[in-house]
Amino acid sequence: MASQDIESATTALQVQPDNKARRYDRQLRLWAATGQSALESSRVLVLSGSATSTSILKNLVLPGIGHFTILDHATTSHADAGNNFFLEGFESVGKPRASEAVRLLRELNDSVDGHADTRHLRSVIESDPDWLASFTVVIAHNLDSQILVKLSSLLWEHPSHPTLIVVRSAGFLAEFFIQVHEHTIIESHSETLPSLRIDKPFPALKEHALSLDLASMDPTEHSHIPYVVILVRVLEDWKKSHGGNPPKTYSERQEFKKSVLALKVKPDEENFDEAEAQAYRCWTETTVPPGIASLFDDPAISPEALRESPSSFFHLLAALKKFTEQSETHTLPLTSTLPDMKADTANYIHLQKLYKTRAEEEKHAFKSHLRAPVDDATINLFVKNAHALHVIRGARWDTLDHTSLANALTENPKAACLHLSLSALSAVREQSPGSPISAEALRKQVRTVVGDEVELPECLDDFVGEIVRAPSAELQTTAAFLGGMVAQETIKIITKQYVPVRGYCTIDLIETWTAVIGS
Amino acid sequence: MASVSVNVDGLANSEDWEGRYFHVDQILDRPGPRTDPSFLAGDKVKDFLRNKCKILVIGAGGLGCEILANLALTGFKDIHVIDMDTIDISNLNRQFLFRPADVGKPKAIVAAEYVMKRVRGVKVTPYFGKIQDKDVDYYMQFNLVICGLDSVEARRWINATLVNLVDTENPESLKPLIDGGTEGFKGQARVVLPTITSCYECSLDMLNKPTAFPICTIANTPRLPEHCIEWASVLEWPRIHGEKKLDTDDPEHITWLYAAAAARAKEFNIEGVTYSLTHGVVKSIIPAIASTNAIIAASCCNEAFKIATSSAAYLNNYFMLIGTEGIYSYTFEHEKRKDCPVCGGELLEISISHETTVEQLIEMLTERQTIQIKKPSLTTSTKHIYLQGPPQLEQATRPNLEKKVSELVEEGDPVNVTASTLPFTLELVIKYT
Repeated sequence: MASQDIESATTALQVQPDNKARRYDRQLRLWAATGQSALESSRVLVLSGSATSTSILKNLVLPGIGHFTILDHATTSHADAGNNFFLEGFESVGKPRASEAVRLLRELNDSVDGHADTRHLRSVIESDPDWLASFTVVIAHNLDSQILVKLSSLLWEHPSHPTLIVVRSAGFLAEFFIQVHEHTIIESHSETLPSLRIDKPFPALKEHALSLDLASMDPTEHSHIPYVVILVRVLEDWKKSHGGNPPKTYSERQEFKKSVLALKVKPDEENFDEAEAQAYRCWTETTVPPGIASLFDDPAISPEALRESPSSFFHLLAALKKFTEQSETHTLPLTSTLPDMKADTANYIHLQKLYKTRAEEEKHAFKSHLRAPVDDATINLFVKNAHALHVIRGARWDTLDHTSLANALTENPKAACLHLSLSALSAVREQSPGSPISAEALRKQVRTVVGDEVELPECLDDFVGEIVRAPSAELQTTAAFLGGMVAQETIKIITKQYVPVRGYCTIDLIETWTAVIGS
Repeated sequence: MASVSVNVDGLANSEDWEGRYFHVDQILDRPGPRTDPSFLAGDKVKDFLRNKCKILVIGAGGLGCEILANLALTGFKDIHVIDMDTIDISNLNRQFLFRPADVGKPKAIVAAEYVMKRVRGVKVTPYFGKIQDKDVDYYMQFNLVICGLDSVEARRWINATLVNLVDTENPESLKPLIDGGTEGFKGQARVVLPTITSCYECSLDMLNKPTAFPICTIANTPRLPEHCIEWASVLEWPRIHGEKKLDTDDPEHITWLYAAAAARAKEFNIEGVTYSLTHGVVKSIIPAIASTNAIIAASCCNEAFKIATSSAAYLNNYFMLIGTEGIYSYTFEHEKRKDCPVCGGELLEISISHETTVEQLIEMLTERQTIQIKKPSLTTSTKHIYLQGPPQLEQATRPNLEKKVSELVEEGDPVNVTASTLPFTLELVIKYT
């Protein structure tokens, strides 16, 4: 099987990449063809053609989403023309903001479809909710809170409704929140590598390690045994004389490391140095990682839920649970990804083959527990990433509840005050539309939200004061910063790769920090 | 429709219509609670930003395009940009000032024209060439410098140049340097006040070590597809093609390497050599996306705006972002290194054995994280230890490579290390152990 892969890989050399692959090369190295195709079938709705909105869209049009719509009934004002790169300065003044922005955004990428809609959101919510629900993601920047409440409720009605990202900003301050129903991630691109299972070696690996005649081996060969094999061998020998146990105490572990180095026949055998450095793998028990074990309690994998569920993810998760319960080692299926190590080609490739064969066997065992049809590519991805799966169950957009607020005020007072100040701005605007924003009104509103008994940190005044200074200022740099952050999270939601942020992401561009609260 | 109105505040030029600066003026018209008292709210600061401030942008690529657009909309009107590259099709997924028809043209020129066309009244002066082409007088004319570069060497050069520029008698000689960098979902932005805060050189050890494959692995014991690709480019290409230089931008060359690497992989039963991987390895391609660049460029321009206007405190001094799992960022003050060869003043101490040869010392200097000097020349106040050039001197000093350092340099005697790519001298004090 493996040699056939090589055969086909080399006899039929790939042709040079086409223009599309070349254009997207730098991002395909992150999210691959699967991520790209998810982007290309996505539809994004952005409410308003503000500088922040077009900055977000720019970073979605460039990587190639399928479609975007800007819903905005405004005509371009003098102020809009001054702070938005996707309006043509004074020439756009008086023209519909949505059409101008869509025209200029579309110039960024021929393969993206864009549409300007100049209806009022208020009437669309009433008359055309299905249309709103037809998008993959909906993004709302500085939307009035009354209509935002309606929109968020509408999009929360059904699990299949689009993700809503609520973005707010004033001057140097900003925050956003992702209202997502259920979000499952196979390819989280975790930097944690799966276990090599040196502590629980599979039979072929153990047999191979024990078969080596270290004492009479040719010295060159000896200096090319991969550390994995050395450790399995030394551990098996150790267990024989220690009642089947790995080294437990500090002194035992030191002794174990010494016995690894004692096997050297020449002082410069780097493979034994590597084995010593990796010796901790012998006493770190391979188990199901806690993050994955907790997913096994998920209600979505109960037999009743699965009967109703079209989601291949939860069928795969249920099979994974069964697999770990029934496997002798109570571990996740083995993956064939072997890191590089000191070894010669023959030894390394042999070891790789042992891992591949075993991984293939365990994958078959895993598949036998699967009770729904899932394509092989997805199964392969799932097994490869089984140690780093994520399930996110989001919350409806709302102001934080009292407990979360109290926690945030203690744990991260600055971020909590920033959030409270921006929320207060929105509330005060609604209470007295058109009147100037005062610090008293904002503070009063914050007090109403947190209640009388909560002590507010002094730094609240910093944020309140900054909002009074620039309540309606959309700074280009804040817009661009949000443009990057919100687009990036949108890409994570659409591709189901990498892990989106949970809770409120608050941003202070005076001291330049970001912090998440309420997660 | 209103006509273009002039001189609302007595400062604007004819391009400035009424309300153009509605947003940013909210910040410039009054201080916030955290604003420094030196802030000159109102016309003074607007005049400086829009009529006097001159800013240099180094790099017109992923970060540079974003930086130019942000600066223009923020109100900077005299912007200069340097870039030595031409536009490639793989830039188009993020460098949003370029279109397919621009492929092959100089980045600096196309970017400057685009920004001037879109944001009226802004002057962007491009230079298509190297930063090293410009002299001290050139750099002296700017108030601020922003870097969006992908090269460590270029950053070290501009950093050292700006530190050397500082004359304590002349406050104008201190040019704040704002530096941004990205890789995939990760990035960083920092503010350097030359001689006052930690500089780029102070933080060299924060760079990731580039993956280097030992030549014996490549030649004798390949295990990974990367080893086969390195073999094809480092050993097989020169063997077959002789003097002909490998061009990593030429698809024909990459295809040749790919075929050679794939054949070797087949011979050794190694899987995974692809065209894309071959291209990535030989060109050291770093993944890059629009969104991360937008965040980091925005952060850089935001600091430039705050420094130029004093309207708010600025970053002290390092912002690091990791966007792979949630959004994690870390803002901290990177400390100045007392023995930094650029801004430190103290000599750098290095311990070696009596047996260490000059060649081994040179290898240490190349590899050590805090030094990383490629092809260094070594001298003391009295003698040449080893010189990379000119050829006669290289030949004359070459026998020293085999000698022990202890035969040539007394303990405590400073050794000067220089390299043609770096505009400074590293002073070393050797300790023998």
